[in-house]
Amino acid sequence: MIVLRGFNQLLISAFADFKRDKVRTGLTSLGIMIGVLSVVLLIALGLGLKNYIRDQFESLGANLVMILPGAGFSGGGNPASLTGGAEFDEKDVSSIKKLSNIKYVVPVFIQSSTVSSANEEKKVSVMGANEDMFSLLNVKVQAGELWTKSDVDKKTKVAVLGYTVAENLFKYPSEALGKTIRIEGLRLKVVGVAKKIGNQERDEAAFVPYTTTFGSINTKKTFFAIYLGIASQDLVSDVKTNVEKTLLRRYDKDKFSVTEQSEILSSINQIFAILNLFLIAIGSISLIVGGVGIMNIMYATVTERTREVGIRRALGATRKDILLHFLTESTMLSLFGGIIGLILATIIVLLIRNWFPVAINIFAVVLAIGVSSAIGIFFGVFPAKKAADLSPMEAIRYE
Amino acid sequence: MKTTSSIISLKDVFKEYILGDESVFTALRKINLDICEGEFSSIIGPSGSGKSTLMHMIGLLDKPSRGEIIVNGRDVAKLDDTQTSVLRNSYVGFVFQQFNLLNKLTVKENILLPASYSQKKFDYDPEERADMLMEKFGILSKKESFPNKISGGQQQRVAVARSLIMKPQLILADEPTGNLDHKTGNEIIDLFESLNDSEGITIVMVTHEMELAERTRRQIKVFDGEIISDKQ
Repeated sequence: MIVLRGFNQLLISAFADFKRDKVRTGLTSLGIMIGVLSVVLLIALGLGLKNYIRDQFESLGANLVMILPGAGFSGGGNPASLTGGAEFDEKDVSSIKKLSNIKYVVPVFIQSSTVSSANEEKKVSVMGANEDMFSLLNVKVQAGELWTKSDVDKKTKVAVLGYTVAENLFKYPSEALGKTIRIEGLRLKVVGVAKKIGNQERDEAAFVPYTTTFGSINTKKTFFAIYLGIASQDLVSDVKTNVEKTLLRRYDKDKFSVTEQSEILSSINQIFAILNLFLIAIGSISLIVGGVGIMNIMYATVTERTREVGIRRALGATRKDILLHFLTESTMLSLFGGIIGLILATIIVLLIRNWFPVAINIFAVVLAIGVSSAIGIFFGVFPAKKAADLSPMEAIRYE
Repeated sequence: MKTTSSIISLKDVFKEYILGDESVFTALRKINLDICEGEFSSIIGPSGSGKSTLMHMIGLLDKPSRGEIIVNGRDVAKLDDTQTSVLRNSYVGFVFQQFNLLNKLTVKENILLPASYSQKKFDYDPEERADMLMEKFGILSKKESFPNKISGGQQQRVAVARSLIMKPQLILADEPTGNLDHKTGNEIIDLFESLNDSEGITIVMVTHEMELAERTRRQIKVFDGEIISDKQ
């Protein structure tokens, strides 16, 4: 049926026009394509980072309370809020251990150091803690064994390696057992390799008794944080209050923070919501530029096709017919760019997600399609109105 | 051909334009004209005489500054843009000097274009009618061709077929032979004569060539915006 009515006819007519001038169609859609590509990729990146960090915290367990220096995570995620606060020591650990309802008290010293074996070396995160850390952080052994309280008490020079570290230094994790590694001059015997959990921070760490780090890696004998494992979720609030009271005896209120995991996650969500908005705003600039490009081309198209508008009007097309005709073209141009941008973004996400935390979601897809259609309509309506308002008599005489 | 009732009446029609220096240019003055069913008429006059403006009025492409244009008992000046477009679609078929076909549509799609804008319910199949018209005008073999791939004479035949697709009351031809050689031009006029004679289709042709005008049954001479003679 060649006599097509309504929307079908508009779509087919627009397709026919695009097919006839593929280069122009491609170039006009390019702006929207780049815009959608950047918005979707930026959202994917923001979302991926958010998920990654959330997973890191969730893997720590539900009844975890963290004592951090400065304002901690309640400082709105400002990196400065984690510095300039209290430097915790063994005295704090002893005071907190005396409090009730706390299952584990784990002092945590973290430092990025180069770890070397006989043949390889690698930059890893050295984590000095006590034996309860393995229970609190749910660290399971893949090969060998975990060091114990006795090792902490005796300052034994032993280490448990994260799976990736063992793999990098010794090729096969099991080969690491009994070998000696060196961390800034400190020689340690590998007694165990932790199971791989897919958490980069944990798989690329070396766990050492905190007492062993004293005097060598940890010269000041202080801790970055103290992690607490609470006996039950219902007791978290009480424990927090007691810990705060205890620490206030030594430190000012603004020098430390006692944060439970849900607060951290809420902070992370808040930070990433702002970050995502910021990223979308940046990406939107290119979408607007793409929209202006479409408007520009549509104005040129209307001028070029003035006579065509006159012919169509002479044959009975109403103003609405002409308006819809041009509006359909601009919307399809924009949508075409949007869909191509979305496909490219999906391909890029699939390619890089093994190396980088990115995630594409239905929101980004709906946003891309919705925004590119809206841009086509918004930026197409002015040229379309110009075409619709042409006098049929003058348009048909246009040379 | 015997004429019957009037299908369009122009009563005291004026068309005035305000020029840049705010003076008024009168393109048509006090035009009184009736076009009756079954007529084959020509509007003749030199360049700038107002014949094209008169054609635009009859074709509902423009509205008068003063006066009435009555089509099917309705004053066209009082219709809004949409109503005028709908009426134009069903009431008049245009044939232009420059053919005015859309090069991106095939011959058949061009012929069917007015039908795609129609808001009336068809009592016939437009596609079948398009095929019939193409066969009648010897262009059926070109139905899938694009206008820029066929000759000028064939293009004008396509334009005539397009003007007939809606079974309009009136065919309005603006210098239909202006872009054709003498022989092909005569063939188009033969076609109009045949349509008028055999099917009683009303045709109004605008031309500046007296030779062509003499082949019509009625010659309306326009000069300086006025009808100076109306010979039947």
